[in-house]
Amino acid sequence: MKTDTVKTTLIDGSKIITEGLVRAGADVFIGYPITPSNLFYSYGQKRFPSFYAAPDEITVMQWMSGFSAAGKIPVTATAFPGLALMVESLNMAYMMELPMVLVIVQRLGPSTGSATTGAQGDLAVLNGIISGGYPLPVFCPSNFEDAWELSEKSIKTAIEFRTPVILLTSKEMIMTNKSFDLSKLGQINKVAKPELKMNGEYKPYKPGNDLVPPFLPVSNTEYQVRINASTHDYEGMINKNSPESLGNTKRLKEKFEKRISELTIYDHDKEEGAEKLIVTYGISTDASRDAVIEMRSNGKKVSLLILKTLIPISDEDMDIMDSYKELTFVEENISGQLKEMIYGKRNYKHIKKVNKIGSMIDPHEIINKVL
Amino acid sequence: MIEQEILTGVKMPFCPGCGHAPSVKSISKALVNAGFTPLEVVMVSDIGCAGLVDPLFNTHTVHGLHGRSPALGFGVAHGLADDNKKVIVIQGDGGATIGLQHVLESARRNVNMTLVVLNNLIYGMTGGQVSGLSTNEFKDDRQIDDKTPPFDVVKLAHDAGAVFSCRVTSHRNFESTLTEAFKVEGFSLVEISSLCQPYGAGKMTELEAWTEQEEVLRNKREPLLPPFKETSSLITDKDVLHAEFTSNIKDRYGIIMAGSAGGGVQAAGKLLANAGILAGLESTMKGEYPITIGTGFSVAEVILSRNPINYTGLEKPDIAIILTEDGLIKIKDKLDADSEILADSSLQLEGFTNVTYMDFTKIGRKKGAVLSAITYWMIESGLMPIEAIVKAASAHKYADILLGTINKTEEGLFDQVG
Repeated sequence: MKTDTVKTTLIDGSKIITEGLVRAGADVFIGYPITPSNLFYSYGQKRFPSFYAAPDEITVMQWMSGFSAAGKIPVTATAFPGLALMVESLNMAYMMELPMVLVIVQRLGPSTGSATTGAQGDLAVLNGIISGGYPLPVFCPSNFEDAWELSEKSIKTAIEFRTPVILLTSKEMIMTNKSFDLSKLGQINKVAKPELKMNGEYKPYKPGNDLVPPFLPVSNTEYQVRINASTHDYEGMINKNSPESLGNTKRLKEKFEKRISELTIYDHDKEEGAEKLIVTYGISTDASRDAVIEMRSNGKKVSLLILKTLIPISDEDMDIMDSYKELTFVEENISGQLKEMIYGKRNYKHIKKVNKIGSMIDPHEIINKVL
Repeated sequence: MIEQEILTGVKMPFCPGCGHAPSVKSISKALVNAGFTPLEVVMVSDIGCAGLVDPLFNTHTVHGLHGRSPALGFGVAHGLADDNKKVIVIQGDGGATIGLQHVLESARRNVNMTLVVLNNLIYGMTGGQVSGLSTNEFKDDRQIDDKTPPFDVVKLAHDAGAVFSCRVTSHRNFESTLTEAFKVEGFSLVEISSLCQPYGAGKMTELEAWTEQEEVLRNKREPLLPPFKETSSLITDKDVLHAEFTSNIKDRYGIIMAGSAGGGVQAAGKLLANAGILAGLESTMKGEYPITIGTGFSVAEVILSRNPINYTGLEKPDIAIILTEDGLIKIKDKLDADSEILADSSLQLEGFTNVTYMDFTKIGRKKGAVLSAITYWMIESGLMPIEAIVKAASAHKYADILLGTINKTEEGLFDQVG
């Protein structure tokens, strides 16, 4: 029912994400145009306090890392071909522990594939993108409310965990216009940077109890700041095999594991007595929601798990999946990347997959598989 | 101010006789000469022998990837724009080869930093392979059968816009050149030709015979610094639409509009989606067109619904509006033989039994034909109030033209042909 407080407008996800990121404290957008992420480029030019057009995606990540080392929060948006060029520099930023957000707009691959066709094909790449298998946080919105909230969460995670963060979207989330009630968007305040207490000493990679080292930008006038992409000790000095420096490298995984409950975000639409669970994320969520509505209206018992944090997957996520007799993973890629990330390539009788390329999975394809 | 404050005093990590050691000492002396204290300097280093410098400096240090440090330094320099820091980037000839784009881009944008290229003609860390800056004289001596001339990074940086670019040789006292480079407002580059005892030139006489002559090149430019600016919200109440009309759509209705690029299809799709909101419905609008502009098909899909819309796919439209052959070809697979179709009278649709042909293009001309068809559909079907599309069009920047098309359609100036 429409009421006076409803503020409906026709809007796309890229506008919501751009606005959310800036309100949460993003300072600079650095981009290289690539379809279907271009709306971010044009909104970024209008909305970010500072905007840079880089000559290629390697430069994008390097400039972002420089801005981040200087204490600014940079953002970019790209699709797989751009991400591929960024991989080495993304590893650099991860090792340096530099806050930043990368919006990935998935399109159909492999290679240049189809620039204007949506997809969910990049999760497997992101799952292994840091050499050595370290987790790079990946958030994935399932609708516009998520897009808003996860934009803030991405900035907050980048700052509080000292890390690059991926906001994983798809062409349909970014370009399709939908009527949407703006009053559903809550307040986003600028994410506060942690207050640092130094007692006359600063070591750029010496962690506190939360396993995250306090961050000072290279503008500091009191303490020397060393930032390093090679294996390094607490001081940020290259040191390839001391227990301290190897411990520092292990910490890159442990800092996420220690506080995983802060990262885990999902919706569990639980139907009492249901033995079947649909597991999905991102752009396949809408069809899954419609499939669940239709099945329930026909008296079928089925639950829905929408994962919004794809990396790292937590025990909390797994416990939900373990509590059902049958799982159906719904994702717009050829192999079932989320299913394989969690359960491997082996087929199990109780785990089904709905996969597709070239267009969105529709609700009846899901119903046919689940029932 | 003494040099020791810039340098930590840690033993130089270089091979005996390496040109990097005197280069590092000269850099520190020049920083003192130019008036910088250690924490006013950010030293950004590359990979390779030139990248071993971090522990030597009491400055802030950032140690990055092979070849990318000029881009990393660019980001630092722009990020620190308001902090009056000196950014110095140190890389070798290998780094300058793999990352040449970053050198040129930094010069082109005249970023406020100094790039020092330690050119020892060789990849020292990986066993003495030649780089893009290795000279032919040097390659001849090694009997390397490669006559490709080297990049002249000093000239390239100059051509790309560097304020100051210069080549020096590591046995000379080039402190004053570095001092001048560090004082430059904007981008400066100093290439230091230097010894690599194990793999490159081992003697100064060799180095002089094998390297380009010293030279200083200048451009008169101001540093470019895009300011951090105030911006305003992308999401404002002025785009909010209130439900003020009523629609006769019962549940969910899908409209597909297919025409050609430049035919106003996308704009009309948005108007219809907005009209839906004004009529109290939920709506979605999805556009599809080739990445070229001004040629090929243009398709818009609009869903209007009483209930919230999750899935936005439209497998079978309730009505198809087809304006051109391009559009028809694109959406044909979505249509059944008895699909309801509104087509421009210029078309002949084979194999469809439920087509109404109207002169939409004559009424709306090329850009207004889709809007004319939408208006016609609203009137004929009675599903949507015409006031909603009028109101949606009134808010458009080309309101007069759009309203003219709607009016002409309402007045029924058609020649019905089928």
